[in-house]
Amino acid sequence: MNMMMGRVFRAELRDELRSIVREPTSLFFGVLMPVGIFVLFNLLYGHDAVQGLSAGTAMVATFGTYGVITVASLQPGIGVAQDRDLGWLRMKRVSAVPIWISLTAKATAALLYGVGVLVLMGAAAAAFGTLHASPWALLRVALVLLLGSVPFTLFSVAVGFRFRTGAASALLNAVLFPLAVLSGLWMPIRLLPSVVRDIAEFLPTYHLAQLGLAQLGQGTSLLHVLALVVTTVVAAGVAAASYRHARI
Amino acid sequence: MATTQAVLTAEGLRYRYGETVALAGVDLRVDPGECVALLGPNGAGKSTLVALAVGLLAPQQGTVRILGGDPLRATTRRRLGVAQQTLGFPNTLTVGELVSGAAVRGGLRATAAVPVLEELGLTDLARRRVAKLSGGQKQRVQLAMALVTEPALLVLDEPTVGLDTQARRHFWEILARRRAQGTAVLVTTHLIEESAAVADRVVVLDHGRVLADGSPQELVSRLPDRTVTVRTTLDQDGLERLPGVLRLGREHGLVTIQTRSPEDLLRVLLDRDPQVSELRVRDAGLEEAVVALTDGGEAVGPSPSAPSRARGTSGRTHEGSTA
Repeated sequence: MNMMMGRVFRAELRDELRSIVREPTSLFFGVLMPVGIFVLFNLLYGHDAVQGLSAGTAMVATFGTYGVITVASLQPGIGVAQDRDLGWLRMKRVSAVPIWISLTAKATAALLYGVGVLVLMGAAAAAFGTLHASPWALLRVALVLLLGSVPFTLFSVAVGFRFRTGAASALLNAVLFPLAVLSGLWMPIRLLPSVVRDIAEFLPTYHLAQLGLAQLGQGTSLLHVLALVVTTVVAAGVAAASYRHARI
Repeated sequence: MATTQAVLTAEGLRYRYGETVALAGVDLRVDPGECVALLGPNGAGKSTLVALAVGLLAPQQGTVRILGGDPLRATTRRRLGVAQQTLGFPNTLTVGELVSGAAVRGGLRATAAVPVLEELGLTDLARRRVAKLSGGQKQRVQLAMALVTEPALLVLDEPTVGLDTQARRHFWEILARRRAQGTAVLVTTHLIEESAAVADRVVVLDHGRVLADGSPQELVSRLPDRTVTVRTTLDQDGLERLPGVLRLGREHGLVTIQTRSPEDLLRVLLDRDPQVSELRVRDAGLEEAVVALTDGGEAVGPSPSAPSRARGTSGRTHEGSTA
């Protein structure tokens, strides 16, 4: 990226972050809801132990997954749909901003937003005395969740290129909620019926949460990494096809 | 003799959307400082021509160049300033952020926005969110975003819609200053009489072809129509029987009659209705000329002494003068 593109990227990123911070509804759904649910469950079950790990610590991985994919799935896609509806994406194209700069700025803004959600969850768990993991393990969880959100961002962008704002928002929310429930993001997967556990193994959200738990010493990583790599490749293909057919 | 490099050149541009022909071979040249108005009915090909000029579409046939560069390349597009009627703004950003963002996207520092905000009277609004602006203020913001990069070519789509008379005059004054510095302007508009007042040249498009190219005065002078406005007791049938009637219309209780022989018409009209009042005869305006052209009734072109700078391949083009 040359110096000029660097400046353009920073300007785009600044605009994206301003849009997030100045939009109360995105703050509610992106921060207050996931953190609020995390706080509630942490207060209720945070001190329980799950396979040698405190539930409050495990929730940082599972609810953290929910928090990160909420912003990664909603923000970029709805943003792209809005920009298309406004003619803003077209304006950027005319003003010589490469599309990848705009999309990278949206994804980066969502990631930074996700970092904020994880920090709030970690701070809450620490305050409740339910967080029992080394800083290094928590950092690994955060990195895994942020990196693992890439396929969700790609899918979100694909939806943004295909649908108008209202439809994109409805569709992404409609997909997100069942993914969270069926992947055991809100309650331990072992407590869910076996049919749900069978379904979960085909869901990228499940694999991301399990990968987060593996950083805390629960389970292994390889299968989940493979599943997420495959999901990323498929999501990238869908996003590319969606962009090619998009009316900008 | 040194020749000025054209800001925009289009040669043999053709474009189709499936079976629909949007452009059927269009040539166009816009020189530095020149203001060219693209006129024509909906579906004439104006939007496609503009989309090709600003690099949103790639020509299927023919070429388009901005200062000799391909508008599909980002470096070429940095020489453009574009204001489109349909653009909406992200409501979360302020006026200052929008204009400074446009400066950065165009390869300049954010501070380049300051003089443009001042020029357009937006300094006091710089910290206001765009959602709280009136339609006219939003138009000014868009113009500021287009002007901030000091473009060689300004492409404006219906730029004065929503502006009051004073704001409109101010808008054209700003453009006149920029044109004096060499900025070329390509404007698409439905406000035909406004374009007659400000454009150096008018290019009339229809069905993807250039029907006419010339100064507004040239186009009007080639149309021999006159408009008679009168209050009369004659009914529709009686009016249609008058000699030389081309078109009839009614405005505020008055009848407007387009004709090429107003003297003959008036002799008969006064004979049949001695009560006529509020009688007025005026030359055709650019609007009548464009309507006549795009209705297929006329072929109006540049005078033989003024070589065309826009040319289509239609049989209805300006090879001859007035039909």
